[in-house]
Amino acid sequence: MTLVRPADALVVALAALLVGAAWAAFWTGGGPADAVQVIAPGDESRRAALSEDDTLEVRGHLGDSRIEIRDGRVRFVDSPCVGRYCVHSGWLSRSGQVAACLPNGVVIEVTGGDREFDAVTF
Amino acid sequence: MPSPSEHLRRDDRLIAGFAALAIAIHILEAAFPSPLPGVKPGLANVVTVVVLLRYGWYTAAWVAGLRVLAGSLLVGTFLGPTFIMSLSGAVAAMAVLWLAQALAGRWLGALGYSVCAALAHMATQLLVAWQLFIPHPALLTLAPFLLTAALVFGIVSGVIAAIVLAKLDSGPDTARA
Repeated sequence: MTLVRPADALVVALAALLVGAAWAAFWTGGGPADAVQVIAPGDESRRAALSEDDTLEVRGHLGDSRIEIRDGRVRFVDSPCVGRYCVHSGWLSRSGQVAACLPNGVVIEVTGGDREFDAVTF
Repeated sequence: MPSPSEHLRRDDRLIAGFAALAIAIHILEAAFPSPLPGVKPGLANVVTVVVLLRYGWYTAAWVAGLRVLAGSLLVGTFLGPTFIMSLSGAVAAMAVLWLAQALAGRWLGALGYSVCAALAHMATQLLVAWQLFIPHPALLTLAPFLLTAALVFGIVSGVIAAIVLAKLDSGPDTARA
């Protein structure tokens, strides 16, 4: 009796295909992100499309946070906080991603498509 | 031709012996910590596949059923969620093995049967967990991880089963447990 028969290889190949399909089905990530929601203290919340390059100045508790939109991505360029964690979050491009400058009370969240994350913790 | 009662007794001895072996493996595995919840190597699968190929589906189903029942009694999960998962996985695996044997028969070897059983086992457990215990769509994002693990472990235990079968075939005729 041989260890591996022809049909075994077929079954393993089909199984690998199935597993690959599962990856494709569940891990293609969120849909295309198309907008950014900017939340600021006061009633400064607004949405901006990611399709148009732009720089936003958002007034917060401490001063103005500068947010840049370029190539369908968004990031904090500068913020009047101490640690600059928001700036170090870097570019956000996938739906559900969040960067926040808590001292300044400014939060940006990428929206659109299927949300890839329910919540993100650091 | 042995009389029906003798025949039964020989089968019963086989089933009991192999079930004991499967239960021992099952409990040893339960004692090992798992890197990912829900992922076990499933080496008891080796016993099921070996019995399936040597003695047929009926005997293998008995061995798998007894393993789930006695294994859960010994580990202490009888009728708990773990037991429901274990049972549904075993039932699904045996159903797929029956189907595979009916369709492919001797074209399939231990490796093919083992992979079929492992994937059916894992997919069913995931669906049962999703339906009964954690009805949240996020659970399904675990599916690729778990199915990949099932494929890898299915191949591993399939190769082990193939080697065991080859050794049993080349050895003396007696393969009594």
